[in-house]
Amino acid sequence: MKRRVFLGTTGLSLALALAATTSAWAENAKLKIGFVGVTSGPAAAWGISNQRSMETRAAWLNELGGVKIGDTTYDVEIVPFDDQKDPKRAIAGMEKMAQDGIHYVVGPNVDDGAAAVRPVAEQNGIMYFPYAFPKELYAPPASNAILGMVANYQSGPAIYKYLMENKGVKKVAFIAGNESDPLSQRDSGSAAAKALGLEVVSDSVTYQMDTTDFTPVLLPVIQAAPDLLVLSGVSPANAPQLIRSARELGYTGLISTETAQDAAVLQEGAGDLANGFISVGGASTPELASDTMKEFVKRYTEKFGEYNDESNTKVYALEYIIETLKANPKAIDSVDEFKKTIDGFEAPNPFMVGDAKLKYVGTTSFGQKRQVSVPLVVNEFKDGKFETLFVAQVD
Amino acid sequence: MTPVRLLGIGAFLIGVFVLVPLFIRLSGRWDLYYTLTSVALLSVGAAGVWLTFYIGRINIGQGAYALLGGYVSAILVTQWGVSFWLTLPLAALTCSAVSVLIGLPILRLRGVYFAMVTLVLTEVARLTALALPITNGAKGITSIPLPGKLSIFGLTLIPDFATLENPKLAFYLMAAVLMVLTYLVLWRMVNSRLGHLCRSLQQNEELSASIGVNTAMLRVLAYAISSFFGGLAGAMFVAISQSIYPSSFAVSDSVNFMLYCFLGGLGYVFGPLLGTLLLYFGWDLLSVAKEYQLLIYSGAMIILMLVLPNGVLSLLDRKGGQK
Amino acid sequence: MEQIIANGLYLGAQYALIALGLTLIFSLMNVLNFAHGQMYVFGGFVTYTVVAQFKLPFVVGLLASAVVLAVMGALIEKFLFRPVIRKSKRDESTMLLAAGIAFFLDAVILLLFGEKQRGVPKIVNGVFNWDMRIIMPYDRILIGLLAIALIVAFILFMQYSRTGRAMRALAQDRVAAELMGVDVDRYSMIGFALGAMLAGLVGGLLVTITGVNLGMGGPTSIKAFLMIMIGGAGVISGAIAGGFILGMMESVGLTVLAAYGDVTYLAIFAALMIFLAIRPQGLMGKPWG
Repeated sequence: MKRRVFLGTTGLSLALALAATTSAWAENAKLKIGFVGVTSGPAAAWGISNQRSMETRAAWLNELGGVKIGDTTYDVEIVPFDDQKDPKRAIAGMEKMAQDGIHYVVGPNVDDGAAAVRPVAEQNGIMYFPYAFPKELYAPPASNAILGMVANYQSGPAIYKYLMENKGVKKVAFIAGNESDPLSQRDSGSAAAKALGLEVVSDSVTYQMDTTDFTPVLLPVIQAAPDLLVLSGVSPANAPQLIRSARELGYTGLISTETAQDAAVLQEGAGDLANGFISVGGASTPELASDTMKEFVKRYTEKFGEYNDESNTKVYALEYIIETLKANPKAIDSVDEFKKTIDGFEAPNPFMVGDAKLKYVGTTSFGQKRQVSVPLVVNEFKDGKFETLFVAQVD
Repeated sequence: MTPVRLLGIGAFLIGVFVLVPLFIRLSGRWDLYYTLTSVALLSVGAAGVWLTFYIGRINIGQGAYALLGGYVSAILVTQWGVSFWLTLPLAALTCSAVSVLIGLPILRLRGVYFAMVTLVLTEVARLTALALPITNGAKGITSIPLPGKLSIFGLTLIPDFATLENPKLAFYLMAAVLMVLTYLVLWRMVNSRLGHLCRSLQQNEELSASIGVNTAMLRVLAYAISSFFGGLAGAMFVAISQSIYPSSFAVSDSVNFMLYCFLGGLGYVFGPLLGTLLLYFGWDLLSVAKEYQLLIYSGAMIILMLVLPNGVLSLLDRKGGQK
Repeated sequence: MEQIIANGLYLGAQYALIALGLTLIFSLMNVLNFAHGQMYVFGGFVTYTVVAQFKLPFVVGLLASAVVLAVMGALIEKFLFRPVIRKSKRDESTMLLAAGIAFFLDAVILLLFGEKQRGVPKIVNGVFNWDMRIIMPYDRILIGLLAIALIVAFILFMQYSRTGRAMRALAQDRVAAELMGVDVDRYSMIGFALGAMLAGLVGGLLVTITGVNLGMGGPTSIKAFLMIMIGGAGVISGAIAGGFILGMMESVGLTVLAAYGDVTYLAIFAALMIFLAIRPQGLMGKPWG
């Protein structure tokens, strides 16, 4: 008898939970923006910094009275979904967004997820902003994805060129984790380096993502004696260990990567050995950050206890969505309107000093404007902080 | 077959094919289609894992076969233009064939050894997919077309998915059919002579060998069927996501397949089905808990295990009675 | 060549220590502890918190990790594994529980310590360089030696202490041990606590070198599984051998096969499957352990 009751209550609570998620809230106008990304497991750092920067910015905007789009003032609400870095879950997340009537989604964070959600996004009229680099996501016939950052095949050549001209780099080596994203980035990075006339001395060494000792991995790479060691698509967890092992093996050349890193993590993991490490960041170095950016960092830190420098590159997608909607209020429930607005859209970039602009780019890489224009800020790590090495633009 | 049982099966079928679509139409929860499609497909894979449990082997390698099945289907469709409907059985059969080759040596292992080797197998599959040229390595295979028309003698059995207004419903029905067929096969098998033989393996392999059961043959057979289901599930998933990467089925998927079986109950044919439903659906429902999602999910799993260590379906056992 | 061997030895020492705790728990309770890697990560974070946040000496951090994890292990055994083992029909059912605990610890670690990679500053500076033939930072040498010392201490403890003997008896034959008057419940709990403590200690040791992040748990468990398979499940010497063999294979494989890309681990895994097909109980395991 008791068991029957147990079964019954389980069923009942399931049904109740379903009903609870079905019923919509009857409140003021809300602008729901989705986030589908990885916020648990090994790659959690990517998604969490992403989600938190969205939440920080949303709370801030709401505190200021919301955003005015057309004649309506909206409160921004972030609807997050953890896809556990599983493409199958990412599809479920995108379906959930469609169900919630959301048309603008930030994420997913990785290649396979971004490819898997494409059918759902296109069927349901969702624009999504992945942090994945495969060109077929953005080039026609695909049209619903907008790259949310600078791709490595755009930043890589700029960095290599700068280092060739300013630091006399001639020989370059690549090392990557044996997962889709880093390997693809290594291949495109290596091709770009060759195109620039650099000699690629090693680009076949890979490592398991869970490696705890990188000395054996790096040994053959260091023996090839490069001037520049590129850590392709390196995760923030592996970067300090790789740097440390390379330096301890006596490597004295330059080390760089095309992904965003966190200064505190580098300082803890590699200390002084990380000095001179070159990575890509957003606009939070003191030379570039506007007051808005500084305020953002402050609010993020207050809200979550600690800032993550990776968020610098991830603060933009939400800003682009809101500003584009402001520019064309009809886009609020029509991505076709949004796509029409993309071409001519321009707004001031609040996060950077000077007269930087928010606009859509990507014609060179994708044949259509499917990328947000963020400043390509190349940083150098120095004593626990990032210093701006140079700033470039992507077209 | 007792009338009660027939009634139960009828109710289940009506639920799956009539009530669920009806509920979704009435409530407007279109996203449930994908969730339920996933549950159906994952439960197909889990059914295979359950079968290996049935012969007394812990299988944490179903992800490898799902990945293999997915790649076979994706490659046949994109590179040779084979109809998806033909690739579905081909993918599953390839998985069976490969599993026979792998199974012959490793099925001699037992207990944790077999479990661990199969776990390694998933990683081997991922690394192989990364290394081989035919799989397009790290870049994966993307933009796979939707399943086309299936017609026999000019009679259209299944319309072209690309022309459908609602491919979600079509995928759901397709997955549900697969699921029903899988469990029908499984149920039939368990209640046949073959099932009895499998049970004898689970209890004592030496004893059953000594009374003339060809244990080696039986083990490989069960493992091949198990992998067949894994390949089916993988191929269907690829058709839905229209893309496949080496990471499409990973170690975590293999582990999950195993957990679905445990949670539902190893002694019950429909255990993996229920386990998949509870765990997969539970996770989706818990997404409202945001950062506490995993905490609540895992906490519930632990509590369930404490209360019902033999699986949820052990609730149905009459007190003290055997299955 | 010398460098490859030195790398292999260092890797092997840390691997062996991880595998020891896992194999101990397995031998006593026939539980494959999926949460072992998470316990290792937890230990790393405890040391990090004590050393980097509270600015206390490294040794205090290590001790804190050991104590926290031992208590955690004891509680998990008493309140989770014991009742489930008692009630379940099949041994394997504990796997779901172990996996649940692994997920649970993952969630707790994320909430308590955050998503970032963490590390404590180097405890010793400098690099040992023998004529460019062996290059090894001093802190690695120190951690490697500490790991070996811990392994030796553990073996001595299991060989000569009363508790160790009781646990070995339990591992050999649970029923017989019980008949001989060994308090099975008590020693199972101690064994589980000890296994968890070892995981925590390795975490604490390695946080100075590799750092720690919440994603390391699952992969660490899997690596530990590999080692105990090579050596034989439930056998102390097997775990140590397995750890060193895997360390050496990685070191050699990564150097020799570097030019071929991602094949090192593929080769290691394939070799392992062939090895197990020939020798199903590992190097030193009991048949069908």
